[in-house]
Amino acid sequence: MMRIGSLRLQLLAWVVLPLAGLAAINLWTSHGNALATADLVTDRMLVGSARAIAEQVAMAGGALDATVPPAAIEMFDTGDRDSVYYRVETAGGRLLTGYPDLPVAPEHGGLEASYRDHRLRLATLSHAVIGAGTDSPIKVTVGVTLAGHDAMVKRLWLSAFAQQLALVAIAGVFVLLGLRRGLAPLLRLRDAVRSRSRSDLDPVEVTGAQSEIRPLIDALNAYMERVRAQMAAQRRFIANAAHQLRTPLALLSTQASYALRETAADRRHEALVALQTSSGKLARLAEQLLALSRAEPGSRRPRADRIDLTEAARHVLEAQAPAAIKRDIDLGLEENGPVPVIGDGTMLREMIVNLVDNALRYSKPGGSVTVGLAASDGEAALTVSDTGPGIPPEEREHVFERFYRIAGAAEEGSGLGLAIVREVVENAGGSVTLGDAAAGGLKVEVRLPLAVPDQRSA
Amino acid sequence: MRLLLVEDNRELADWLAKTLRQASYVVDVVHDGEDVEHALAAGDHALIILDLALPRMGGMEVLKRLRARGNPVPVIVLTANASLDGRVKGLNEGADDYLAKPFQIEELEARIRVQLRRANDRTAPVIACGDLVFDTNTRLFSLAGATLSLTPREHAVLEQLVVKAGRTVSKAALSTAIYDFETDADPSAIEIYVHRLRKKLEGSRVQIATLRGLGYLLRHDDPAP
Repeated sequence: MMRIGSLRLQLLAWVVLPLAGLAAINLWTSHGNALATADLVTDRMLVGSARAIAEQVAMAGGALDATVPPAAIEMFDTGDRDSVYYRVETAGGRLLTGYPDLPVAPEHGGLEASYRDHRLRLATLSHAVIGAGTDSPIKVTVGVTLAGHDAMVKRLWLSAFAQQLALVAIAGVFVLLGLRRGLAPLLRLRDAVRSRSRSDLDPVEVTGAQSEIRPLIDALNAYMERVRAQMAAQRRFIANAAHQLRTPLALLSTQASYALRETAADRRHEALVALQTSSGKLARLAEQLLALSRAEPGSRRPRADRIDLTEAARHVLEAQAPAAIKRDIDLGLEENGPVPVIGDGTMLREMIVNLVDNALRYSKPGGSVTVGLAASDGEAALTVSDTGPGIPPEEREHVFERFYRIAGAAEEGSGLGLAIVREVVENAGGSVTLGDAAAGGLKVEVRLPLAVPDQRSA
Repeated sequence: MRLLLVEDNRELADWLAKTLRQASYVVDVVHDGEDVEHALAAGDHALIILDLALPRMGGMEVLKRLRARGNPVPVIVLTANASLDGRVKGLNEGADDYLAKPFQIEELEARIRVQLRRANDRTAPVIACGDLVFDTNTRLFSLAGATLSLTPREHAVLEQLVVKAGRTVSKAALSTAIYDFETDADPSAIEIYVHRLRKKLEGSRVQIATLRGLGYLLRHDDPAP
């Protein structure tokens, strides 16, 4: 909400502030215009007033008589209490009437001057008087205080100001309305996403979305599709895992019931030993399920341990040796030095455990399992060969699928071992292939990028 | 009672069979859907315990074919898929009961008893013939209130006779009912078991009558009610 609100403010600011700036410039010029207009009008009135006074000046009894007509003064009575000052003098500068100290103004006005603590606007008119001889033309100067002038400026300017203000306000309202309309699809998208239940990952559909918002919706839908696929895979895995646990659990329960009912000590003992073996297998299955979920991308922070595959293989073989001896399987390691790789150490060891475990499981007593390690051309190669039945070529791709088991196979594998191997190897940037061992069994080959020589030990 | 267990997990099949044999059932085990037909033809089983996840031919297909041939043998389906859809589908295909793994053996046995009782049109869990009583729940025989001690074979013969009390049971049917596939059937041994049973039943009001050329028949001399 906050982000959308600020987008609104941002757009509003981008539209209204420049508009207000333009309006301010416009007001400033219109103030100048109002002033010019008022000046012009005042000057015209001053000249008009001077002309009215001048036309009343006439020769009377050989002397110039200047009688100021009331209309010449009253024309300035605009309700602003302006004072009017005048002076009528002859061409020679002899005062006929009025204020002798009134400043001299140029013809046709335009002068502003201070007089008796008032600011005045003044205009002078020259007028010829017939029969006045050298006294003609007379000069009539009229000045008026600026209250009416200023009131006119104010009135002219205020109306412009109001217009500009209304313009900016209307523009602002339209921006808001436009934004509201424009942002509506975005808000609908927000509501559509927000109102969803956690499990609803169907594509979002927003009607009337603009071409700018459409890619956002498409990207969101594509993302949800990926999440949905991931969740479906996760669900399948959990269902499969639960399914895989059911049969061993039924076996445990059956063996326990048998032992409870059996009265003969030897048979009871046999059942308890079998129960112990079964629970061990179940524990191993749980371990594998855990390993697989950890090997899944994104489930574990990627680690870049530097581990020596040769040493890891040696540890695994040492741990598996008792089981191999018990089943009379010749377990061997063929290596010629360290094979360092970079990856998740725990998972790489788990991978080797699964490969050796599989090889031992499918080899018959008297057979052999060989783990080979080599480093060449920047690649580490780990091979596990056995003397078991092998895997037919048409099954080789399928055996990496989780829970896949070859039809009719007598051995009770979990169907997870090779799935774990592939997941781990691919996470470490390598590849795994199945082939035929020299002795006829299966040969699993894992190739991983070789770690560059360690700078510290070099 | 001879049962057929169809389960591809060999260990589970082995231990289930062992446990059922403890309860004096005769049990045959097959691991593959395709072997069911032959096993049934040879063993005349009273009930099938059928796992659904089988290699080659799935349990559902086995069931479908069985019912298509008109075979009414009771079938209890075992499955690791306990979804409602799966159960409904199984029952629709002609399964008589459905049990999800993992299960307690006691529950499987109880369901076996229910199915066998239904197959023989019985409602009571106890079968009585004179003073001989067979409790199908405990799977024990008692004679005049005292538990009768029997070997597994004797138990199998007497069970077959008591279930069909008053009707003739042929020697061949007895032989089929008491030997599983792993034992060499020996029809002449039937006479030995019958002889031993007669001795154990001496002094009671039930007898095993021999009908030459036909077989045996369990009868009691209680006055008809």
